[in-house]
Amino acid sequence: MNLIHKLMKTPEGAVGFIILAIMIGIAIMASTISPGDPLRIAGRALVAPFTDPALPLGTDRLGRDVAAGIVHGARTSLLVGAAAALAAIVLGLLVGLVAGFCSGIVDEVLMRVVDAFQIVPGFLLALAFVSVMGASLPVVVLAITLGAWADPARLTRAQVLSLRERDYVAAAKVIGMHPAEIAVRQILPQALPPVLAISATLVAAAILTEAALSFLGLGDPNSVTWGSMIAEGRNVLRSSPWLSILPGLALIITVVGVYLLSEGLAKALAGDGPAMQGKLRNGAAP
Amino acid sequence: MPALPVSRRQILQISSLLLASTALPALLAAQQAPAGGRLVVAADSEPKNLNPAIVASNGVFFIASKVIEPLAEASFDGKDGLQPRLATAWEGSGDGLRITFKLREGVTWHDGKPFTSADVAFSALNVWKPLQNLGRIVFANLEAVDTPDDHTAVFRFSKPTPIQLIRNALPVVSSVIPKHLYEGTDIATNPANVKLVGTGPFTFAEHKPGEYYRLVRNEKYWGKDQPSLDEIIFRVLPDRAGAGAALEAEEIQLAAFSAVPLADLDRISKVPGLKIVSRGYEALTYQLVVEINHRRKELADPKVRQAIAHAIDRNFVVDTIFLGYASASTGPVPKNAPEFYDADVPSYAFDTQKAEALLDEAGYKRGSDGIRFTLKLRPAPYFNETRQFGDYLRQALAAVGIDAQIVNADSAAHQKAVYTDHDFDLAVAPPVFRGDPAISTTILVQSGTPAGVPFSNQGGYANSALDAIIAKAATTIDSGERTKLYNEFQKIVATDLPLINVAEWGFISVASDRVLNIADNPRWAVSNWATTALQP
Repeated sequence: MNLIHKLMKTPEGAVGFIILAIMIGIAIMASTISPGDPLRIAGRALVAPFTDPALPLGTDRLGRDVAAGIVHGARTSLLVGAAAALAAIVLGLLVGLVAGFCSGIVDEVLMRVVDAFQIVPGFLLALAFVSVMGASLPVVVLAITLGAWADPARLTRAQVLSLRERDYVAAAKVIGMHPAEIAVRQILPQALPPVLAISATLVAAAILTEAALSFLGLGDPNSVTWGSMIAEGRNVLRSSPWLSILPGLALIITVVGVYLLSEGLAKALAGDGPAMQGKLRNGAAP
Repeated sequence: MPALPVSRRQILQISSLLLASTALPALLAAQQAPAGGRLVVAADSEPKNLNPAIVASNGVFFIASKVIEPLAEASFDGKDGLQPRLATAWEGSGDGLRITFKLREGVTWHDGKPFTSADVAFSALNVWKPLQNLGRIVFANLEAVDTPDDHTAVFRFSKPTPIQLIRNALPVVSSVIPKHLYEGTDIATNPANVKLVGTGPFTFAEHKPGEYYRLVRNEKYWGKDQPSLDEIIFRVLPDRAGAGAALEAEEIQLAAFSAVPLADLDRISKVPGLKIVSRGYEALTYQLVVEINHRRKELADPKVRQAIAHAIDRNFVVDTIFLGYASASTGPVPKNAPEFYDADVPSYAFDTQKAEALLDEAGYKRGSDGIRFTLKLRPAPYFNETRQFGDYLRQALAAVGIDAQIVNADSAAHQKAVYTDHDFDLAVAPPVFRGDPAISTTILVQSGTPAGVPFSNQGGYANSALDAIIAKAATTIDSGERTKLYNEFQKIVATDLPLINVAEWGFISVASDRVLNIADNPRWAVSNWATTALQP
């Protein structure tokens, strides 16, 4: 709670938090705001926005409701973004922790694997993975995770390397604590904050990657996504630009919101500085 | 597109009447067409193999037909619907076992060697029959080609082969390639497959991958005062949105095969200096078809297939997806093949209640979640329209309680999934009707095609009565008898629904007003463009 309080004091954090709260609210309430399948044909094709009260944002080439698409698209985008970022962080933490804690040959092997993933551009990796596996939501999440877990892994390892030399870790060893317990209960909580600080960036990147995949026709065709809406609108860009502009705006607002939040989060954590770190340490040490 | 009270077909009829009434002045205009100039055309793909004798597809013909010529080309008003090219006359024997072609004299290949009947015999026996996607079917019973002299080729068949079929197939399957460059080489990998040598009005100058193809005037072309143009450049513009902009900027003068998206035509039509032409594709009718996997228990029931046919609103498909540039189908033969078309077949009006009743009757009631059963739907990725129809079909089926899950894939993966692995329940396909049902239409429903043959019946449908009619028509010499058999074929397909024909469409060209004599034959976009001219 204290962190949220601090976050709201920074202007970036406050704006980002509000934007994201609204988007998450829309995503959760999507089925209530616009019930039924958002892909169903709701009216005439290519109704302009703000002309028909029943279809506030108009319709696309097939007569599908653009407002319903944007509302349900928020759900897909945020879900994929959050799930991919979460998966990347969990995987990164695990690999970083094991590599840093075990060192030696295990560290070498794991870090070379991380190198391999860092060399390949994340988007290309996702593109190849989805092309081979076929497009569906879990595959897309996995594909984005593949390109995103290396950074948190590297960060965690660096933290762990410095933490494992601390006195309290040595003390834990002396009292006969199992190494796995030391890693999870003593070191992990300390290694977490910097990784969490980059989590927002990971979410934003994941949302953009998902949109790009859908734009190229590699998203899940059975759910609406902003990327696929932009791609569909591209065919009629000259005559009905709003079909691309509206989902594009939704995408921009969401990503900007996430970035502002991450900026605010970094400031709040930094402003807190040593006090916060100390508190965490005190809380975690036995 | 504003909803006009007249259909596109009516407009076509009216415009062809107008065309006929002004045929004489048009001919004069053609003769007075300005000579010279460079025509720049949008091309959306770069085929790996550009040899039309091996790959008889529109993507290849679009470029290669200017360099390599067939024995005869389709024609609006010629005898048998043909105009002579490398053959000047053809005649079938009464028993259907031989066809004699008289070949044009005084024709030379682009490298200076004379064109003779040996080239035709070589192309037929070594390329069309064993290697070509369509020639395999049309020339399946071709046994030998006799060459009594340099300008006569006699095709001998082991079984009676209808002259009607060969005539209808000539423009597509009979591209002649030079024997002296191919003999004794691996034909499939011969360098002349990418650097074409032919007899056509243009010679192949160069191909810069990713940029352009350049064809230049063949000074020794056999056609008098042909061609009009000095040069044709095919600019590679894979982005469809780019073609419209390039036309407006006058970087290109022609975009064929609906390179400009249908949704953009309304706006483009108002741009001064550009014209929209829907003629010139009459013999290239694409059909929008729902392929059905009959291995699925539910889909093996004719009632379910009828229900699906009733659930599709063909007017919506024509008006909203094709923006009026298409017409609703009644069966496997399109309306603009009047030689074979039979309107007297069962039809399936858009009626969701009837569809639901049929599904209930078949024993597939809606479950507690409103769903009767779930299907895997694979829309072909080749056209915007096939993909959009996939989106529409999913909604149309949802309305009657069938949950269709769309699976998208690129062309290669789609073809493998549908035609090799049979990993689909429904698929959306755009087969082409090529002037005769035996060329590429009967294969869509006839049984016994091995897995892996694209655009064939891979849905596991087998109907011995239908197979018998197809086999009989393939060896029936009398055109009247043969047409009757194909009328019967249409009735069975429309009744039993091995697949569902939804709509049929041609393409649209957008051209600068300066481009003359476009669309002067029913395969214009893939013909030789010898008469096409450019006003300075």
